[in-house]
Amino acid sequence: MSDLAITAVGAYAPRLRIAADEFAEAWGRFEASGIERKAVPEADEDTLTMAAAAAKRALEAAGLDGEALAALSFATTTPPLAEEELVVRLGSMLGAPGTASHRQFTGSTRAGTRGLVAALDAEQTPALVVAADCPRADPPDEREHAGGAGGAAFLMEDGADGAVVTAQGEYVTPRPGERFRETGDTRVRGLGVTNYDRAAFRDALAGAAADAGIEDPDVSAAAVQAPDGKRPYRAAGPLGVDGERIKACATVHDLGDTGAASVPLSVARALADGHDSVLAAAYGSGAGAEVLRIEGRDHVATDLALDGAVDLSYAEYLRRRGDLGGEEPEGGGAYVSVPTWERSLPQRHRLVAGRCSECGALAFPPEGACTNCGSLVDYERVRLPGGGTVEAVTRIGRGGAPPEFATQQIRSGAFGVAIVAFDGPGGGSVSAPMQVTDHDPEADGELSVGDRVQVVVRRIYTQEGVTRYGGKVRPAGE
Amino acid sequence: MRDAYVVGAGQSDFGAFPDESYRSLFRSAFEHTLDGTAVEPDDVDEAIVGTLGVGGRQLGLPGPAVTEHVGLHGIPTTRVENACAASGYAVRQGVQAIRSGMADLVLAGGVEVMTDVSSDAVRYWLGVSGETEWERLSGTTFAGVYAQMASAHMREYGTTVDQLSHVAVKNHANGAKNPHAQLGFECSLEDASSAPTVADPLTLYHCCPTTDGAACVLLASEDAVDRFTDARVRVAGVGAGSDRVGLAQRDTYSGVPASQRAAETAYDRADAGPDDLDFAEVHDCFAIAELMAYEDIGLCERGEAGPYIASGATRPDGETPVNTSGGLKSKGHPIGATGAGQVVEAFDQLTGAAGDRQLDAPEVGLTHNVGGSGGAAVVYLFEREHDWSDVADGEVVA
Repeated sequence: MSDLAITAVGAYAPRLRIAADEFAEAWGRFEASGIERKAVPEADEDTLTMAAAAAKRALEAAGLDGEALAALSFATTTPPLAEEELVVRLGSMLGAPGTASHRQFTGSTRAGTRGLVAALDAEQTPALVVAADCPRADPPDEREHAGGAGGAAFLMEDGADGAVVTAQGEYVTPRPGERFRETGDTRVRGLGVTNYDRAAFRDALAGAAADAGIEDPDVSAAAVQAPDGKRPYRAAGPLGVDGERIKACATVHDLGDTGAASVPLSVARALADGHDSVLAAAYGSGAGAEVLRIEGRDHVATDLALDGAVDLSYAEYLRRRGDLGGEEPEGGGAYVSVPTWERSLPQRHRLVAGRCSECGALAFPPEGACTNCGSLVDYERVRLPGGGTVEAVTRIGRGGAPPEFATQQIRSGAFGVAIVAFDGPGGGSVSAPMQVTDHDPEADGELSVGDRVQVVVRRIYTQEGVTRYGGKVRPAGE
Repeated sequence: MRDAYVVGAGQSDFGAFPDESYRSLFRSAFEHTLDGTAVEPDDVDEAIVGTLGVGGRQLGLPGPAVTEHVGLHGIPTTRVENACAASGYAVRQGVQAIRSGMADLVLAGGVEVMTDVSSDAVRYWLGVSGETEWERLSGTTFAGVYAQMASAHMREYGTTVDQLSHVAVKNHANGAKNPHAQLGFECSLEDASSAPTVADPLTLYHCCPTTDGAACVLLASEDAVDRFTDARVRVAGVGAGSDRVGLAQRDTYSGVPASQRAAETAYDRADAGPDDLDFAEVHDCFAIAELMAYEDIGLCERGEAGPYIASGATRPDGETPVNTSGGLKSKGHPIGATGAGQVVEAFDQLTGAAGDRQLDAPEVGLTHNVGGSGGAAVVYLFEREHDWSDVADGEVVA
């Protein structure tokens, strides 16, 4: 077994929730049994932004800077792009070095644990293993009713105190048609042959447990793949655990099916809740499974943000999902080319500001003459911590936004725009315009001049097929 | 340096005109400008045309494209772009040409067509003069940026929504008397404050419309002015200033430093001050912009603009009438034509041609034109040197 230990865990789920009852009202019944409510990504979220949110929490919990990473992996079945390595942009958001190993895992709901196993095998440390997912299916499909959202990240270090993998096994058995997504399609489906599907799930997991040599795992929590709220419990017997162990760290009941992040999220919850030995049992259709035993959580730092804050109606849910349309309008006018955008990535992804070599004032972005002393200088690069204070703010309704944001407004309505005085590292501040996200005045109260906010990386807009990611702010203290 | 005089000034109707082109609108303004002067097209030495180019209809060489249309082909023609201050700066270049001695008679004006594109497309163009990479892509157009300024002004000075609404009430009342105005109807304080929100705290009535229109000014040197008109409206002072394009980069959000610099220079050149003004046309693209202008050009102390407008001081019967034309709010805001359009109102007021809006024999008027949210500003003081009795009937002829 590897000497790598999990030293920190971060997890994130969007704050939007929809209850099973809303589906029942819309469709006559809710098809994803065992799920009470599930997480829904905000219109400006996707698996990359959720991965970044979970990853930043893991790094912060460990007190580690992204620049220290030797390896980074990103696992998801729903990357925002089918081709182009998004793990590279994830690395940019975290400040990982260009020489670090960057790997992406996809195509299976066990991609998250594949990332863990790959990190164990590669032994490049520190390694950050991130999984985030938000599966989609056709609106009436049980898989769509189940489809949730969230992400988890594990920091792995060599020879450090933390949780270690004490057993691992893998097993595959060909079972086509249980759950699949055709090339070019965004929605998973399956043939719905109930007994065949259940057998695939059970047999793959049983095979992996046997391969790991785990007959009777002595664990207090079992993180089992959860395509819905019932399926994981059907694997209790083959895995040698009882339903209570599965329930102890289940996330499916309140987040829904989180695909490749399903088992990672449950492992994260188990470690955060103090479970000292955890079984991780991941399944991917096809079929294949991985089973790991993880032990020793005493020195694992955890930072999980999995609580919901806003409940959606089914209509609001459809808007967020983008099922109600929304195309970028034609018209031209102002335009920021992708190369121009690329030059600003240190600012968009990591709030890299500058310090004037003449007067010491901060500049954001760090270019042009100093706004304080007017000197045309080169700036020393400094990273802003991300907290700030609102200096001016408005809220833009439909009709008031630039067309780049038309699709977003169709999906999530009015948004705030603030000028934020961001705290400098070690005093001072520098101002920048930022869109406000995760803020609904009716649910959260008004955002006013003087209020504190925190930066998050979200989708800004998409043009020419290229999504621009960058900083927005959300009310602090959430 | 020799002085520059306004010989004539005229505008097209401002509004939405599906049957007009940017060229036909410019022609309308040009013809009104010639009215009452002895100017023949051959007399014009140079032309300067301000336009943003909304819709992209003639982004290159829009200047010659309009001057050729009115029979001025052949003369040097330049296009000036400074967003909503485009033609304010065109007039300034005209003054420079005259003062330098390079020209004796200059046509300076502007034109914009904004209403013939889809509402989505026009929003592309309304945002092009903000700082593009950061400000625009935080999700704002100008309504949002001015709303942010309003939030700062309200926070610092306790300015209220009703005080913003007073701008709409006053300017609509004035515009209702202006036959060229786009929105020539009156509104109540209640109408303005309870209208739908565009960008909190600004309501629909706190925002100017999008507009088609053109405006022109003929400027002559002191050596030539008598050949063209009996009126003597002197350009007593010009000031201009710029600032960082993005609001977040500026030293203040509750005022427009470029306007302050422009006003200071214009007063200095004219050897005058706010107390000398008989009226002003200020850039009220949004209600907060008019309130900030009061402070920036010195009509009231900083932070006092809310109570100042509520006192009625800027109504036609107040101590310094502001925006007797209706302003951008009621008269309309065809971006490239707005600065020259303000000069049209000043000229009309100083030559007795302002009709139902005519003030009582004014001597000194100011115009104030802002580009973007304050990236550029230009301020003029115009002074009447002719006897009021010569123009009391509104007729100015050579």
